[in-house]
This record gives sequence, structure tokens and C-alpha cells, in this order.
Amino acid sequence: MSKLDVVGKSFPQIDALEKAMGKTKFVTDLALPQMLHGRVLRSPYPHAKIKNIDTSKAARLAGVKAVVTYADTPGIKYGPRTDDWTIFADDKARFYGDEVAAVAAVDEDTAEGALDLIEVEYEELPFVADPLEAMQADAPLVHDDKPGNIAAEFKVEAGDVDQAFKDSHVIYEDRYYTNQVYQAYMEPMGALAEIDKSGRLTLWTGTQIPNMMRMTYATALGVSADNIRVIVPDYGGAFGAKMENNVHLVAAILARKSGRPVRLINTRHDDFIAGNPRVPMYIDIKLGATKDGILTGKEVQVVGGAGARVVYSQVIVATACYRVDSLYRFKHVRSKGFTVYTNTVPTACFRGFGNSQMTFVLESALDMIAEQLNIDPVDLRLKNGIGPNETSVHGWKINSSGLKECVVKAAEKAEWKTKRGQKKPFKGIGLSCCNHVSGNRPFAREFDGGAGIVRIGRDGRITVYHGESDMGQGQKTTFAQIAAERLGVPLEMIYVADVDTDISPFGLGSFATRGTLMGGNGVLAAAKDAFKQLAETAAGMLEASAEDVRCRKGSFFISGSPEKSLPFKEVAAQATYDRHGAPVVGTGFYTPPTVLPDLETKYGNISPAYPFACQIAEVEIDPDTGQVTVTNFVGAHDVGRAINPLATEGQVRGGVTQGLGWTLMENMAYADGKLINPDFVDYIVPSALDVPEIKPILVEPIEPNGPYGAKGIGEPALNPTMSAITNAIYNATGIRIKELPVSPEKLLEEINKKRGQPTDNK
Amino acid sequence: MLVPINIIVNGEEYHLKVKPNQILLDVLREDLGLTGSKQGCGLGKCGACTVLLNGKPVHSCLILAPYADGKEIVTIEGIAGEEPHPLQTAFAEKGAVQCGFCTPGMINAAKALLDDNPEPSEAEIKLAIAGNLCRCTGYNQIVSAIQSCAPSNSDIQTEKRGKSNE
Repeated sequence: MSKLDVVGKSFPQIDALEKAMGKTKFVTDLALPQMLHGRVLRSPYPHAKIKNIDTSKAARLAGVKAVVTYADTPGIKYGPRTDDWTIFADDKARFYGDEVAAVAAVDEDTAEGALDLIEVEYEELPFVADPLEAMQADAPLVHDDKPGNIAAEFKVEAGDVDQAFKDSHVIYEDRYYTNQVYQAYMEPMGALAEIDKSGRLTLWTGTQIPNMMRMTYATALGVSADNIRVIVPDYGGAFGAKMENNVHLVAAILARKSGRPVRLINTRHDDFIAGNPRVPMYIDIKLGATKDGILTGKEVQVVGGAGARVVYSQVIVATACYRVDSLYRFKHVRSKGFTVYTNTVPTACFRGFGNSQMTFVLESALDMIAEQLNIDPVDLRLKNGIGPNETSVHGWKINSSGLKECVVKAAEKAEWKTKRGQKKPFKGIGLSCCNHVSGNRPFAREFDGGAGIVRIGRDGRITVYHGESDMGQGQKTTFAQIAAERLGVPLEMIYVADVDTDISPFGLGSFATRGTLMGGNGVLAAAKDAFKQLAETAAGMLEASAEDVRCRKGSFFISGSPEKSLPFKEVAAQATYDRHGAPVVGTGFYTPPTVLPDLETKYGNISPAYPFACQIAEVEIDPDTGQVTVTNFVGAHDVGRAINPLATEGQVRGGVTQGLGWTLMENMAYADGKLINPDFVDYIVPSALDVPEIKPILVEPIEPNGPYGAKGIGEPALNPTMSAITNAIYNATGIRIKELPVSPEKLLEEINKKRGQPTDNK
Repeated sequence: MLVPINIIVNGEEYHLKVKPNQILLDVLREDLGLTGSKQGCGLGKCGACTVLLNGKPVHSCLILAPYADGKEIVTIEGIAGEEPHPLQTAFAEKGAVQCGFCTPGMINAAKALLDDNPEPSEAEIKLAIAGNLCRCTGYNQIVSAIQSCAPSNSDIQTEKRGKSNE
């Protein structure tokens, strides 16, 4: 590949200064004339029959323009995966926070006040919050038509697992639990909804999946998808959470009933109790290895809590069941997964998508195996790690793999050998690896891939349209860099449009760490097409053949004679005149060489590229309080090629910080089926004081399927963090953490047990 | 019942009538259209609404508007001169901005720190922004951005700051 001018360079995000100046309009900041403010009345019980709702008093309050309940909806069952959703609770509320009614009023105070005037007659029902309890024969049913509360089952088996265990020198077996945690994006979920004269709905909302959301919502509203337009302005973070959520549809129903635009933004409290937090999982693992530390067989059982309806939990449980199998050279694996309804908030995607839960468990188990065999954890990973041009047990084709380089470089940077060798009381160092995908072929079975549009107007303004989503991770900047590189212009000449389903390509969205690879390849193809058109114009102007035309730093020239050049703008103007005013529009798409997994065997190739990582944590533990401090952190990541190293490192630091929060601080705590810490007072996320310097290392093996060699980084940034920290805690104390988070109380109890002291002896 | 208040926001005087229970953040966002200040929690725990009240950083979601009567308020829209404030430039350039929802409050907290203590230590910076949550960046780049605005770290920035404070 020739020298790159824009790709591979650390540019500030193209919209960063505007954001720093407070000029960016987030969803929360949008307003329309005559706009009303919405508020939702939510169930105060985890499970209750709704016997009657009287909205008449609320409706009479001055300033109230609409009060709506289930009766105001089409009453259609729908859902992104399973048709177990309704807009508003139907005959019963299934979780603390379930939507029961909503109000639109002239201001937020009035809407809030009107909620108090809605009279709901409930009959409390027995509830179940824990997924294992929900599987018991006598458990209350969340949905009457779902026996055993089973929402979905998943199975995969390859090789001969039983024989593999017989052939093992060591076997490790244990049960782990990963808890429910909240994404805590800084801007709560919400939408601005407007319905036009023809009944067509426009939703301005922060969403990772504008096009897929539109299709789900069309079903819910009983309209065709073309009657819904989704526009995605800048929005304040998502981390997996901002997919489908009833709050958007409630805004639509309020707008329909009131005939006025409605802005409905969750209060933080509502966002906690009715967002879509991480799927909690019970995970049983059995792992075998030979005397030499070659992994033999692996068996897992996953029980994941879906909450009261399936958002994406069944796919997340499936991912937990088998994605890690392609991290090492496994031959014999067996997994079983159960997705189980409970009377809690519906759970869904959070950075890692089930792979983070299982990575925590597998990488903990590996360290236990390493200890039994007296092998350095680094060596165990190096012996078993999957390499480039290998095919995994499930058929995944690993083109590039920087896994081993990640392990070696992280170990070097963290001074692993020295530090692991020095036994200091209550200080430890631990590592963990991970793999991931850059796109997940079975997520939408219709197709995978990405597309782009590059429009160049008379004045040379270049606009890139894509169908993914910039939730703050810098997707726009990545696409701008790719387009600028391919067109041969400086970055500042590129403008990236907000996604608008009326205009943008039909992208699947930004999830599964797919945006940069899929959308990036789509934008690259569109830029290539636009360039070809401009090159033809430039060829005429330069009296050369189009194949010989080049553009660099905004000037067209003939290959070999850069002294005679034409500014980009002149060529763009000429191209527009040649087209009698039509702009140059380049379109393009990318077809990933993936294979849809077989429904039975799951054999296939789910992603065009697989990122890898190794992270190392150092911890210090206060033996008197159980408080863990992460003192040093190294994250080595195979990113194919970093389109923007500054942004890529930012992803690593952000992911690690979220993983640190999950490991040491965060837990959605329930009592009597109610979330008892639904705010940042009681649900503590890391502040600047909790985070050490995080040292990213970018490993760049150049992925043949990536745009300019890039793979994704979003989720692998977090996947290994939990076990890197808990493996360090084990190194420091000999205490194996099998349940997240590691609260000081729990750790102190274990420390005291080890010391042979009663826990209250302080 | 409405309460008359006189406030100076970003150098401009406003004579307003507010509800006695109205919070300052709503006055800024809804009445004055200054949407740079964000509501992230409503409880003074996330810092997205941080503005400067008589030069001190406050959570504008916890300040009742009548309390601001007679006081001077600076929001993110008011800290730039002809050029962006050095903190704004540094945040953008150092990768301290991802989604940007926390950024206005974070920059205001940082500005209050630097106005008071132009050469803060790393620990002092972390303490000063400990009440401002960022879920995207992991804070490392935010701390570097603030550090880079200390006068000793850049002569050019010292010059710029001198100008924008005039």
C-alpha cells in the first residue's frame, strides 16, 4: 500500500471542538414549535395485574395535552427478537419500571404533576428476579405462554468433549456469576417525535441501529416501515444500550394522540429502571488441559436473565456460549445456554455482548489451570492462542491475528516477568486475553455488510452518508478519514452527515464492533466510485487518460507529473457543469466474505475479521478494608490498523475504565424486586480518581478484509478487563473472584477467612 | 407566582421572571436557549450541568434560579473569546472529547480550577473533576488536556489565555 496521508494519523474528532464549545445539539437539546414534554408513569411493582387505569383527573389538569395507556396503542405484540413486547403494559406489569401510562404537557413540571393524578389499580403478583429461581417448576410465570420462563435455548457441540476430558491431565470446574450493570451513558435515552399531516412519524433519537429500529417500530405501530423516518443527531453515548426501547414508541403514541411534537427524555431514574442493562449470567465451566498446557476440552452452561422481555438477550447468551471458542485452538467444546425471563428490567447489549461475561470466566479458569500445571499464564496463552490463517473449531477464518504479539508486547510493557516474580503482600499482577468480531453475520440474517454515499457538490463540498451510528466513539471521523484518503483530499474537506433513514444507506448500525470495518468499507467503496467520476472530468481537463489521474492533498494531477495540477474544487465544479447541475454521487457497498452459521452446528464464519487483545492489570489491596486499587494497566490490542490512533487509544481507555467499574464498583442492586440504586448517588461509576494511567499498545497486523487494514475496537477494549483485574487479585491474595463485582466487604471477608480470623474481628 | 430575578449570563444582563422552584439549569437551557449545559442526573452527581456562578463551579441542576439573582453566571457558551478558550482547544486536540455530553461541565470545572490554581498537580486536577462523570474516555486524556493548559506547559497558550481573559 502506498504512503497514506490521512489514514493512520491522530486527528482530533472532526466534531470535537464544536462539542467542547457547547454548540453541538444533542437529542436532549432539540426543540420544535408547539413541542410538548412527555413523562412516563412506571410500575411500582415487579409483577402486578393492572385491574384499572383512570386517567381522567390527569387529563383535566391545565396544560396536559394527552394521557395515553395500552388502550391508545394498536395492541400489537412485537419485539426485535421475540414478540413479547407491547407498547405499555397490557394486562399486567412485568417489572419495576414497566411502562403503564404517559403524559404529554406544555412543560415538564406539568407532565410530572399529571403522573400523580393517574389512578392505577394494581393487584400484586408473586415475582421472580433471579434467573435460576425463574427456572424452578414453582416459579411465577413472567409470560403466561412461556413455560418454565424459558425465552430461548442454545446448544453447540463440536468434537468429542467427553473423550477430551478423559485425556486431560488437569480439569478445572466451577460456577461463576456476572451481575447486571448499567451502561451509564451520560445522555439518557429519549426521542423527539413528530407526526405529519399524512400520519408519517419522524423520530429524532440517539440510536445505534436507525434502520433496524425503524422496522421493529413499524410492526409495533402497525404501519409500514416507510411511514417512519429516523434521524440520528449527535447523542451522548450508548455502549450497546441504545437500540430498541419503548420510550421512543411512547413518544410516538403521545405525538399521535396530542397532534403535536413530543420530546420525551428519560429522567436518570427512569433510565436506570427501564433502560436495557447488561444480561446477568450464571456460568458453569469445565476446562481441561494436558500436562504441557494444551487445552483439551471445554464445556459451559450459561443461564442468562432476560428480564421481563427479550431485547437481545438470547443472542447475547448464544454469544457467551461459543465466541471464546475461537480465541484458542479448541477442538472439543460443548455449550448450552438458557435465556430466562425474570421480573426485572429487560436486559440487552452492553459492550462485549456476552463475550465479556464468558471471557471473564474462561480467562479466570485459564489462570487456575496455569497454576495447577505450574505454567506462567503468559506461556499458557502463547501455547494455545489462535494464529493468523487458522480456522477455529466453529469454522471461523482468522485472517490476521495479532494475539500473540499482544501478549508479548503487553507482558513486556507491564514488566510481567519481573513483577510476577516478586511476591509482595497484597500486590499483584494479572493478565487476560480476548477475541471478538467485526460484525456478526447471524445478527440480521438477511444480509451483512455496509454501504456509503459520497456526494460532491459544485463548490467541492464533500458529504459522506453512512448507515451506521456515531454515538461518540468517533465513527464520523473514521469515515471522514477513509473518504479523505481515498479521494486524496485533506480531512477538513469532508463533512459527514447525520444518519437519516430518508437519505442515508440502509446500514445495520454500530454494534458488534462492526462500524469501522463494515461502514468503513462501504464508505471506501463509495469514495472510490466518486473518485472514478471525478478522475474522468480531471482527465478531460488535464488531457490525459482517467487511469493516470491522481489526487493528493486536494490537487488532481497526472501520475508522474505532479507539477501540473488542478484544485479539487475546480474539478468538482466542472463535473457538476458537465452533469448540468447534478452533483457527483458515488455509491458503493461491501460484501463481507462471511458464512451464515448452520442453524444446527453453528459452523460458519461470522465475521470478516477478528480482533484480539491482551490486557494486564496491577492491583494493590488494602488488607484492612478489602479495597482494591488498580495501580497500572496495559492494554495491547490487535486493531488491524488504527485509522486514527488517538481515537483508537481513546476506545481502549474508555473500555478499560468501564471494565474497571464493572469489576470493582458497579452493581444494580434489587430488594423486593425493586432496583434500590437507580441514580448516580448510589450506583457509583468510576470518576477520575478511580482510574490509573491506562497504557494502550496498538498492534497492527493489517487485516486484508478491513478498510486500509482496520478491524474494530469498541468491545474488545472491555472484554478482558474484568479477568485481568481479578487474576491480579488472585496473584495478590490467592482469592479467586467468582462473582462480580468485587466489593471491599466481600474481599475483606475472604482475606480474613484466609488469615483464619473471624470476619468481624477488626 | 413568579419571582423576578436579574442575572448576568456570559456578560449579558437578563431580567427574568421565574418559578420559585425553577432550577438554574432550566432557566439557562429553556429560557435563554443556552443548551450547552446538560442535565445528566438532576441530583448534582454527574456534573454535566456545571456552570460558573460568580466564578465558582456549581451544579446548576441544584441551584434554584431565585438564588442566582444578582449573580454572574458563565456557561460553556461564554468562556471563549474570539478564539476558543485554550481548554476547549486542548480538549478537542488531546482526545478528551468523545460523545461530548460531559464536556461542557468538565471544561467549566477545569476552568474554575485553573483560574484558582494555574499550575495544578495531577492529583489536584483529578480531585477538581471528580464530580464530573465521563463514561467514554477513561479520563486520562481529560487530565492531559487540562495539564497542557497550565502556563508552564505552553507559552502560546499562556498568551491566548491572557487575551481571552481581557
